[in-house]
Amino acid sequence: MPSVKYIELTRAAFSSQGFPPYEWVVNKTAPFTPFEKNLKECRVSLLSSGGLYIRGKQEPFDPNKNDLTFREIPKDIDVGELAISHNNYDHADADSDVNCVFPIERFRELEKEGHIGELSPVNYTIMGRIFRLTALKNELAPQILSRLKVNHVDVFFLVPV
Amino acid sequence: MGLIARTVEEGGIPTLSVSSARDITESVKPPRSVFINFPLGHTTGKPFDRDLQIKIIKDAFDALKSIKEPGTIVDLPYQWQDGDDSWEREVCA
Repeated sequence: MPSVKYIELTRAAFSSQGFPPYEWVVNKTAPFTPFEKNLKECRVSLLSSGGLYIRGKQEPFDPNKNDLTFREIPKDIDVGELAISHNNYDHADADSDVNCVFPIERFRELEKEGHIGELSPVNYTIMGRIFRLTALKNELAPQILSRLKVNHVDVFFLVPV
Repeated sequence: MGLIARTVEEGGIPTLSVSSARDITESVKPPRSVFINFPLGHTTGKPFDRDLQIKIIKDAFDALKSIKEPGTIVDLPYQWQDGDDSWEREVCA
């Protein structure tokens, strides 16, 4: 299946801004925890890197890069309260319908129809474009993992942008 | 995002990632992914197209259940515009 070569595009953009070529992480293997539960009994939590935050109640993200913070979005949020702080994708469609990048209303419907056990009371958003990989791995990722464990999350559903 | 998925999976919680950048996903290798070839900003579908958004999410949950090989990417069949890939040429221009 043909698809856009984002690695080449990002490298070209970095070079044109005078930075050294960006090195993407190359992994040969992946960790794996078998999924053995019944989805209808699972608590599912959602993470989007679309840069969403609660307008007037949470700090907007640094829209450029390397914001290592996350926002917690309650499951019953009125999506009209969400705004996007992110300079690296066209979020005109997501501004009008957040479900393009943070499908929280669809997850509430899937909970209602019994497709999943429940949507987690707490869901998460970050701003992508984090190039400080050591800090991402050693700070942000473990912080999110520990929040998921506190909230007894069974499945983590990630929506990168 | 792939690195966060890997950390969470290592911590014992199964993950599923929806990707619109296949080359990045191939490189970073999150544990389980579905790929949807849409312009960035539409990872879980087009605005106000509830049926498409639900289909993508349900396909992703099917992949969560079916993927047994770590790092697998399942390609979803949806096209941004039927038989027209002009958006990809515009991104690359």
